[in-house]
Amino acid sequence: MKKSLFRLADIFELSVAYAFCFSLCLMFDYVKTLEMTSDILTSFFRNFLKYQTMIVILSTFLVAVFHYQFSCRKKIEVFCRILVGDTLFNITVRYSLNCLMVLGFVYLVFLATNAYLGFDLTKNLYLVLIFIVYILISARQVRKYEAL
Amino acid sequence: MKLFKFFVSKIFLRRIIPGISIILLICLSNYITFTAVRTVFSTYQGYQEIRGLNQDGNYIANLDPNSTIDFGAIELDKTTEVYNYLSSNFDYAFYVDGFMVSIPNRDDMEISLCYMNKAHYDLTQFNLSQGTGLTFDYRFDGNSEIPVLIGKGLSKTYPVGSTIDLEDPALGQEITLRVQGVLEQNAYHSNYYTLNSKSYYNYSIILPVNEEFLNHANLDLRVNGLMDIVILQTTNEKISDLRAVIQNTLGLKLNFFGQQDNNEYFNEYYFHSLKIVAVTSVILLLLITCLSVWNAMVSIRLMLKDLTINLLVGLSYSKLRKMFYSYFGILFLINLVIVFSITALNRYGCWLRKDTTFVTYGLFGLIGIDWLSLLAVVVTDIIIGVIVVECMLWRIKKVPISLGVLQ
Amino acid sequence: MTKIIDLSIKEKIYRSKESRISILNDFNLEVVAGEKIAIVGESGAGKSSLLNIIGLLDRNYDGEYTLFGLPTNHSDASKLAQWRNQKIGFVLQESALINSLIIEDNIKLPFLYAGAGKKGQKEMKDFESIVDAIEIRSILKKKPLECSGGEKARAVFARGIIMKPQIILADEPTASLDVENRERIVALLFRMNKEFNTTIITVTHDLEMANRHDRIIHLERRK
Repeated sequence: MKKSLFRLADIFELSVAYAFCFSLCLMFDYVKTLEMTSDILTSFFRNFLKYQTMIVILSTFLVAVFHYQFSCRKKIEVFCRILVGDTLFNITVRYSLNCLMVLGFVYLVFLATNAYLGFDLTKNLYLVLIFIVYILISARQVRKYEAL
Repeated sequence: MKLFKFFVSKIFLRRIIPGISIILLICLSNYITFTAVRTVFSTYQGYQEIRGLNQDGNYIANLDPNSTIDFGAIELDKTTEVYNYLSSNFDYAFYVDGFMVSIPNRDDMEISLCYMNKAHYDLTQFNLSQGTGLTFDYRFDGNSEIPVLIGKGLSKTYPVGSTIDLEDPALGQEITLRVQGVLEQNAYHSNYYTLNSKSYYNYSIILPVNEEFLNHANLDLRVNGLMDIVILQTTNEKISDLRAVIQNTLGLKLNFFGQQDNNEYFNEYYFHSLKIVAVTSVILLLLITCLSVWNAMVSIRLMLKDLTINLLVGLSYSKLRKMFYSYFGILFLINLVIVFSITALNRYGCWLRKDTTFVTYGLFGLIGIDWLSLLAVVVTDIIIGVIVVECMLWRIKKVPISLGVLQ
Repeated sequence: MTKIIDLSIKEKIYRSKESRISILNDFNLEVVAGEKIAIVGESGAGKSSLLNIIGLLDRNYDGEYTLFGLPTNHSDASKLAQWRNQKIGFVLQESALINSLIIEDNIKLPFLYAGAGKKGQKEMKDFESIVDAIEIRSILKKKPLECSGGEKARAVFARGIIMKPQIILADEPTASLDVENRERIVALLFRMNKEFNTTIITVTHDLEMANRHDRIIHLERRK
């Protein structure tokens, strides 16, 4: 038993959400590198590539959904932990660090994949920034559950 | 209705983040479906068109992609020799488009001129909305009128029987055209080896090319005509001779593909591409369906208390199912309107940019393949909707309605 | 007799978009060690708010609060957390359990925040004796959603007393329980008071239960 609000299933869920966004980004970059001789494929993928950034940014909404439901679900747990001697500050910091650790791990995996495939390593850095913003916003949400 | 309004405003929309998320997911699934289905339909249309030309004994010319051409070195007289050789040894379908002229018209569009000979015209079989078909036995001299077909966009300015004076870029001289007929709206021509892309004839003039016309035509028309020429009902040996004649006379290295070559090419290249499009789309749709289900489960987790209270005070599962279907129906409708609007705007954009070969007519700006693709989107939405709603109900039914849930 | 709580509240305000509610106006409370106090009053009078203040969960009020002779108003949050962990036990309604943890982990949760040396044999012995005393051994490996209301209430109670706190704050601890379970919880609560001189402060609507305390404080809603 740990002080973290995260269970294994939560970590898995968050990792999958992050991985989905990073892999979407990676997939677009990969498709760009393909030397497509088929006009059908070129025009089909062009329809998505022209909206690449928008699609990737909108897909990050899944991570926002995770944070939202997570903070709603953990209301009672936050309250219980405060009752038995935890502080809201520590819970918030721990929550943010946990999220950052998961993000860091997933990002490193994709960084390694990008490096392996020879893609620009800074390409998906904007996603990390978006996710950090989500973490900070959701940490504020967690702070709301001090007293029930 | 009152109950539905209550549920939408007080329960579903109160969890705005999962709500927005599901809208985005549906939007993405609709876009994928629409794009994939339209690509397939468009390719199918192109395939149908080329099937008319791709008969046993027919050979379609294509410039060898590895060859280099020196247009400056090609002489007009030499092309005459080639066309004389063609006329005396073969039947051939001749087609050239893309010559642009400016003539007055209501929408101030540039006009695309398409030249075709009788053989090509017979194989194409245009549908006309007014007038009669082309005739190719006109006499070509300075004063005679050439019978032409025009696209729908020109029909108001140039009704059947009227004449059009223009300087023909392929002849380099003033000619007079007489409107013989008007093509059906959105008549099109697909590129032979890019089946999914097409040019629409709404702002085009189709000129009949006969031998006399060709004799007066400039180098551009003649050389371009050779690059897409279709030799009809011939043999492989004769095609080899022709290839050698063209190469020796003009220095143009053309490939001629027979029915078998083309079929192999289409099988290998197009059907393979379409398979990749289909498989990619299905995988993405499956992924989106899974994410939608996850999103729905999250919503249920958050709404469970509210739903339980409503079930306690008399809401039945069947009513709940109806409400979920209605709610998702509305979400799908919103997304359908979004896809419809994007498509209509794209089509309208062609009018704004005065993109002659892309402007189309249709109900609310959408043409047939757009409506068919939208229909496919509706079908996909229904499938995703049923999966998501049934999963939600399964999840709700799994939780026993009890005070425990409320506490 | 040692005075352990000295609370003086001028006003506690709840603000919302539409209204501003003032409760606990000029409220004073002194409690000595081992005292049993019941807080009663109509809904909205500020009973739970008072419990939050006494339990160091809420410092957003106008007043002074001295606990165990030390002023709390300007203490840092980690010091207050340490007191909540070691000196104050909360006994709330059955819903105050973490659903994703098994009952055993829920009960042992305070150990996690007790620092080094608080997870030793003595604590385990305390845990075992409490589990036996309130008869919840059979549900230790279950998750809260798999337990009955009475079982959950007893688990909440066990968590509240596991650290042998000097003060137990109980908010309607028996509200949703049947007679048998209610009696069991109340008996355990008073046994703590008798055996360890634990101060009990109970918020309740149940006048019969309130009468079993040494003192009853009646809170009134401001008209």
